[in-house]
Amino acid sequence: MDILQYIAPVFSLEVMQVIALGTLGGMIIGALPGLTATMGVALLIPLTFGMEPVLGLNMLIGIYIGGIYGGCISSILLRTPGTPASAATCLDGYPLAQKGQAGKALAMATIASFVGGIFAAVVLATLAPQLAAIALKFGPAEYFALALFGLTIIASLSGDLVKGAIAGLLGVLISTFGADPISGTLRYTFGVSGFASGFAFTPALIGLFALSEVFVQIEKILVDRKADVVKVSGSWPSGKDLRSSVPALIRGSVIGTILGIVPGTGSGTASWIAYNETRRSSKTPELFGTGHMPGVAATESANNAVCAAALIPLLALGVPGDVVTAVMMGGLMIHGLAPGPVLFQTRPDIIIGMFAGTFQATIFMFIFGMLGIRLFSRILLIPKRLLVMSIVAFCFIGSFAINLNVVDLYTMVGFGVLGYGMQKFGFSQAALCIALILGPMAESNLRRGLLQTHDNLVDFLSGPITLVFLGLTVLSLAWPLIRGGLARRRAAAANTTQQRVLL
Amino acid sequence: MSIYKSLALGFTALVAFGGPAAAADFPVRPIQVIVPYSAGGGTDLSARIMADVFKKHVDGGTIVVRDQPGGGGAIGTSAALHARPDGYTLGTGSQGPLALLPHFGGTDYSLDDVQFIGMMGWNLKLLVGCKDAPFSNFEEMMDYARDNPGQLQIGNSGAGGADHIAIEAFAKAADVDLEPVPFNGASEGMTACLGGHIDAMTSTPSEALPHAQSGAVTPLFIMSDKRIPDYPDTPTAIEGGVDFTWASWKGIIAPKGLPEDVLATLKDAFKATFTDPDFVSKMEEMGEFVEYRDGDAYRALAERDSNLAKEVIQDLGMYGMNK
Repeated sequence: MDILQYIAPVFSLEVMQVIALGTLGGMIIGALPGLTATMGVALLIPLTFGMEPVLGLNMLIGIYIGGIYGGCISSILLRTPGTPASAATCLDGYPLAQKGQAGKALAMATIASFVGGIFAAVVLATLAPQLAAIALKFGPAEYFALALFGLTIIASLSGDLVKGAIAGLLGVLISTFGADPISGTLRYTFGVSGFASGFAFTPALIGLFALSEVFVQIEKILVDRKADVVKVSGSWPSGKDLRSSVPALIRGSVIGTILGIVPGTGSGTASWIAYNETRRSSKTPELFGTGHMPGVAATESANNAVCAAALIPLLALGVPGDVVTAVMMGGLMIHGLAPGPVLFQTRPDIIIGMFAGTFQATIFMFIFGMLGIRLFSRILLIPKRLLVMSIVAFCFIGSFAINLNVVDLYTMVGFGVLGYGMQKFGFSQAALCIALILGPMAESNLRRGLLQTHDNLVDFLSGPITLVFLGLTVLSLAWPLIRGGLARRRAAAANTTQQRVLL
Repeated sequence: MSIYKSLALGFTALVAFGGPAAAADFPVRPIQVIVPYSAGGGTDLSARIMADVFKKHVDGGTIVVRDQPGGGGAIGTSAALHARPDGYTLGTGSQGPLALLPHFGGTDYSLDDVQFIGMMGWNLKLLVGCKDAPFSNFEEMMDYARDNPGQLQIGNSGAGGADHIAIEAFAKAADVDLEPVPFNGASEGMTACLGGHIDAMTSTPSEALPHAQSGAVTPLFIMSDKRIPDYPDTPTAIEGGVDFTWASWKGIIAPKGLPEDVLATLKDAFKATFTDPDFVSKMEEMGEFVEYRDGDAYRALAERDSNLAKEVIQDLGMYGMNK
């Protein structure tokens, strides 16, 4: 059988070793803030120059999958998103760790990453050419509508609607800093050439979530000396936790897979949307954000589903699904292999080898993750006053490492102060983060589309996919009202039945 | 020996060691090459291949590639040009940041600040017709452009970048009215092109090759002065009657004021690297067009393109817009 003949080499000791090493390395890279999966893959491409293509590419896949998973470790334990993909995991993972359930949260994240990764890998191996077509359906209008839909998350995530809207709009405003996407004009750079691309995203995120939390912790330690060490207990989610997380896992995997196929959206967007959809359909939405297992399950299954799914348009069409796969495409080109439909016919060994490697890397990720949980969570046994100091050091190193640009350090500190202020006054940091991710996508696509339709809004927004997303946007905004109405009607109905029974 | 004396001695040794090194012992430590683009892109990968081959030609010649992306290449280029001129910090010099960006006014450097060391090669440009485009060759495209002024939408990799200015220059040379549509990077634009969301796209021969082979896009014309091997059937604009060529380039640059001997060592070393058959074959495998030119010829090329671009940018009303 042909397929077996191509799969067999991937299960040789040599290839498995490389994938295992790549995955482990990826996990470390992902867990360290500032070292992202993108950077890991890019920096190791030269190592693959001399390797067999299947060997080299599978190492990169291992780093990618390990890297996206690794981000959750520091998100959960330290509220420091190791990669932007894991920012949403901070929301429920960190409160869980603070409640002494770090092990459980990490185990849930590992299970979720595994489920999401395997789901998307199955889709990749079986339906890649059929589904890849979705990637090409997205033009400026569709991206704009998708971004708009994503922005509605802000309304449902932030408890106080007015404060949430303020945080969201502030995020959109901040995201306009730097070069205008359509005309190239510099906006709000105040003559500082280092800001020509606006605020760098990862340093902003590190400041917003990690540095601000450091300030909060320092304040706590000053007030209460006893709050110095967090308990660490339990490393397996209870049956109840697992059962309640099943719908979240399914939602996260499906949303991650679909958004992974759509180029240019990436794991950050997918994990926020998955988080929000899970919360919206939950019977206990008020528990999200306080340390709720399904919250972790949704975000982590979504961001790891994106990994394998982003390979779908890359391999089937030669169109990278996100930044990491774009870098990986460079890795393929070096070997003289241009991804696309032609490669399926000329080098099926490469394609099938990469499919098999994706499964292997996901399995290795699960094994290493599970084995590492006890070790990782011991970080929390370090007294907080020492821990926060090393987090501060990592905030600086991580922010600088990403672009080696000094102004990124100012960005990080600025966002740290901003984040602290937002926490103090009850503004949602999540809302600001979502706006930073989706603001540029909404702006550039709206303007690009209007340029193409010569400022005709009706022409711009009339495609079927666009209309579906716009419909979802309206529904998403109206959902709290609808739900309130339904609940009242049900309560009223229950009342009348009760009265009847009484009568 | 008193403690002061030994301190003074130590200090002198430190100063001597840290001061400008003579060529005989250059390089004594790794040379940093700043790439003003993201890791994994064409320039970054070229620089890494270069670093690999450079070792062969210079004793102890380790190159560390440092990616400093942002601002369309302006941030990293500025860092390279404002580095200490001791030969240990160099940069890759590309057309966009050197010949185009200073005209918009947002950069803190100009061509006069650049010490050109040696050119590495070309980035050729190719125009492809997208899915469902109402034309399938150069003549049909020109007819369509003349009949529908301002309707022909051509994607490019970024506003004010080389691909954008190239297509504006083409429109000027051919006297047609086109609608450039800027995207956030080449791959985003190519995706839109494959999906038929634009009519045509400025691309590179290597990026477009798999899509041209699978028939997803149609090569329309190559922006060089003669046809290239991978696209034997694709004409140049000149063949189609439009006097237009455009190609980007890249090479190694440094800040002005390098010690004479260090500069000479570097020039020789990069000449040897860029003409090394090993370097050339690795680059060609990746779809790059290697051509070595010495510092003076490299400067002349940059100045010519800078003047050309200045006119186009002035016509667009974008000259000095970021001052």
